[in-house]
Amino acid sequence: MSSSAAIRAEGLGKSYGHGVMALEGVDLEVGHGERLGFLGPNGAGKTTFIRLALGILRPTAGTVAINGHDITSDRLAALTDVGYVPGDLGMIKQVTGARMLDALGKLHPRPPALRDHLLKALDLNDVALRKRIREYSTGMRQKLGLVAALQHDPPVIILDEPTSGLDPVMQARLLEVLEDRARHGRTVFFSSHVLGEVDELCDRVAMVRKGKLLLVRDVDELRRARVRTVEVLFTSPVDPSAYVVDGVADFRVEGHVHHFTLAGDPGPLLARLGALAPADITIEAARLEDVFRALYLEGDA
Amino acid sequence: MNVVLSLALRRSLRRTVLLGVALGAFLFLVGLSYATVDENQIRILVESLPPAIRAFVKGSDVASPAGYLGSGFVHPITLALMAATAIAAGATSARDVETGVAELMLSRPLRRTSWLGAEIAAMVVQVTIVAVLGLLGATIAVASVDSLAPVSLTSLVITIIPLWLMFVGIGAVTVLASSFSRTGAKAIGWGTAFALVAYAIDYLSQIWTLAEPLGPLSVMHWYRPADILGDGSAPASTWLVLGGVAIVASALALLVTSRREVAP
Repeated sequence: MSSSAAIRAEGLGKSYGHGVMALEGVDLEVGHGERLGFLGPNGAGKTTFIRLALGILRPTAGTVAINGHDITSDRLAALTDVGYVPGDLGMIKQVTGARMLDALGKLHPRPPALRDHLLKALDLNDVALRKRIREYSTGMRQKLGLVAALQHDPPVIILDEPTSGLDPVMQARLLEVLEDRARHGRTVFFSSHVLGEVDELCDRVAMVRKGKLLLVRDVDELRRARVRTVEVLFTSPVDPSAYVVDGVADFRVEGHVHHFTLAGDPGPLLARLGALAPADITIEAARLEDVFRALYLEGDA
Repeated sequence: MNVVLSLALRRSLRRTVLLGVALGAFLFLVGLSYATVDENQIRILVESLPPAIRAFVKGSDVASPAGYLGSGFVHPITLALMAATAIAAGATSARDVETGVAELMLSRPLRRTSWLGAEIAAMVVQVTIVAVLGLLGATIAVASVDSLAPVSLTSLVITIIPLWLMFVGIGAVTVLASSFSRTGAKAIGWGTAFALVAYAIDYLSQIWTLAEPLGPLSVMHWYRPADILGDGSAPASTWLVLGGVAIVASALALLVTSRREVAP
């Protein structure tokens, strides 16, 4: 493992006593400028991992470092590089949004250079900022939390289910903002159980289940490996053995129509089918969500 | 630290001012009512009361100007207003852990001790505001009622400072309870229990010979406003004990918080 990774966890574990392991032996490295989706169902250990990475919780095993700074021994240096939006966002409700943003900005040594840009992107105007936070809707509070986290252009962005409470338009805007930050070389660590947004944003995914890291894969690799549904219409009866290649499965023949699934590269299959002159071929791309679900099930098995 | 202090004060400003105005109004009314008191009659009345009732005013001579005004400083209403201020302020850190505000703050490069230090400072400022408004009410009463003329402004100030210090101590004990608690309600419960037990021990030690040795265990035992108003100064033991409680409880709270987890 590289010592200069944006986020590096080694053997990270958290036990709450009585044998309850919230997280166990997690080894994970997130490179600089990488966009990593951290996936898992509710209670899988996503938030625990993030809180350990930020020093909010103390690990019972292993270590975690941000930009080479160990969170236990060098917490302040580690957090100087971080912008974080908690999943359960707590705000002081008696003060105005503007005051809260100012205060959180002052707690950070980096200047809030992106504040105006983010306020515009996320539709938070002066009128909204002058209101007390107790008057905010859940979505407005979430937007304020996002601006507070990203306003100082942190090199490492850690978001715990950041789109919850946002309407679809704002979700899309947020993903655009994060893409933009990633293009500027910022690391994005994005926890979610909404697979579509991870598919849209991330280069790599890590999956946790029951406190253990199931796998870490490139999204492209998953896309290549995903299973497609194929339907072929022949003009006359055809023996499937004439075109079957590796990766073809789940056959069903209805008259002249053949249904099956295909995993992996479609090239060899298309070459063989071409020789059989089918009347029509339909290849339906499987959603990445289906791949994730299948991987979860594999993990269970 | 200034940022956290400023936020803590802004969020509590309305409550603090309301409690302070209430205390000021109450101490003003206590002083004002002395204009209607016949010193001899009230002395006879108080002496005829059973010790259990006289203990509420800590055995002071409530017929004298200093004793009468001093009884206002240990009246349950004064104690309740000061306790509400100190305990509510002292429980802020636990409430912030509960609501996720602490997580939001401490995911910034901010020391836990700086964060809690600011919360302690905010508690001290709030207790100070309420005590000063109380002092203001008592001062206006002294200036308005001729028969309170023997009570000097200096002695009033010297009387209110130990009251302030006692409740800073109760607030600090609540901060310590907060540093062990994950909810504001628990911290408020512990702080309230501490204040009530202190009150009960002090009261019982005055009316029950068997409980008398327990008196010094209560912070309230060390606060005798009528004596201070009469003597014009508080004994060193008052400053040492009340100051010691505040300092030790705050130091322990800082120590515990530097090691605690702050997740909701």
